[in-house]
Amino acid sequence: MVGIKHDVFTAGLKAALMALILAAGLAAAPARAANPAEMFIAQNVQRGLVILNNKQLGKEERRSQFQAFLLGLTDIRVIADYTLGQYRRGASPADMAAFEDAFKDYALAVYQTYFDKFSGQTLQVTGSYPLDPDETVVKTVMIDPAKPNDPNPLLVNFRVANEGGRPAVVDFSVSGVWLRETERSDFTSYLGQNSGNIPALIAALKTKTEQERASAR
Amino acid sequence: MPRVRTAAALLAALALGACASTPGPDANNDPYESTNREIFHFDQKFDQWMLEPSAEYYDDYVPQGIRNGAHNILSNLNQPAVFVNDVLQGEPKNAGETIARFTVNTTLGLAGAFDTAARLGLPPHTNDFGLTLAKWGVGEGPYLVLPMLGADPPRDAIGQAADFAFDPTIYVHLKAHIWWAVGREYLTILDTRARNLDTVNEIERSSLDYYATTRSLYRQFRDNQIHNDKPPPEE
Repeated sequence: MVGIKHDVFTAGLKAALMALILAAGLAAAPARAANPAEMFIAQNVQRGLVILNNKQLGKEERRSQFQAFLLGLTDIRVIADYTLGQYRRGASPADMAAFEDAFKDYALAVYQTYFDKFSGQTLQVTGSYPLDPDETVVKTVMIDPAKPNDPNPLLVNFRVANEGGRPAVVDFSVSGVWLRETERSDFTSYLGQNSGNIPALIAALKTKTEQERASAR
Repeated sequence: MPRVRTAAALLAALALGACASTPGPDANNDPYESTNREIFHFDQKFDQWMLEPSAEYYDDYVPQGIRNGAHNILSNLNQPAVFVNDVLQGEPKNAGETIARFTVNTTLGLAGAFDTAARLGLPPHTNDFGLTLAKWGVGEGPYLVLPMLGADPPRDAIGQAADFAFDPTIYVHLKAHIWWAVGREYLTILDTRARNLDTVNEIERSSLDYYATTRSLYRQFRDNQIHNDKPPPEE
């Protein structure tokens, strides 16, 4: 009897030990080997989605937290400069500074509207590819809990640049359409029709920002 | 694809070619931009007064199940054209999935009303002869905007003519066939507009130059389809 009890006890102990080892292994090992850009996106974008999903926050508080998150995730100045295209060359430092400020407010208002569409969903990194030594495109899909087996989930890619040793998102795409690229087409066309007048562009951006904020209320 | 869209595309291309002077260098490949902008403005009014209200009514009053069924039937009717283009592009796996999807959805999916194939692990994908031409190396051509149809550069317009020939329903002789074709095209546009009500409105609201924005969106979206979500070309 003592022998049988000992065997059962030993078998039980071995099973428990195996379970512990397996659990530790699963917890420690990542699902796939992720590079720094992928880890940056996986950790940070999900944080943004958590803010958007937080129903306990008031609208203004959520907007404020999300804006702080976006400013930490992205390099708004790099994005702003890119969207001016060829008009950047002739712009004065004062105009550039004023434009970067106006663009920051516009982008925060617009990007929140876009990210709001993903609220309730979770992000899954699926891979990445390098563009050059300092830029990587991280590929993700948005998983909608209402449609977990969706054969065509939304593909969202993030362009991550190494900005002086700090990673930053400088663009993102939905179904292959890059936001920075679209804004560049928009702004350069506007400037082309307004004799390259950057103050006019700044005023137009401020108007659009107010409209975007008004529609979000 | 109905002949209405195809005829309109070809006529517009011919008309623009006749009335435009020799285009100068254009970084946007939009030598007929002033004409395109006029047509785009007309399309915006058409959308504002006809299409958007229809789509809102469709979205508000037609039950989701019926809207999904209509969308699935329209997608299923396109599968023969998708299959032919999968073959022409040398994509045997996609071609196999397409023919399987069409067979399953037409039978088990009740003439395509239900996407039974997706539940069986056969995901949907789109394809058209415009993409086939692109993969064969044919350039897009100058950017064109058509009345009530939107962006439709020559390569895509020609693609639609070919897809029309791949559509088996054109070989079914129905009374007043042209009205069936027009009705199907209208339902396709209505379905697409209803599914993108908020998105289109947001893009328009945030754009300084909505025409330039839609031109960029169209091109990027088509480029992504051509390259199958692979790395973008070097800047």
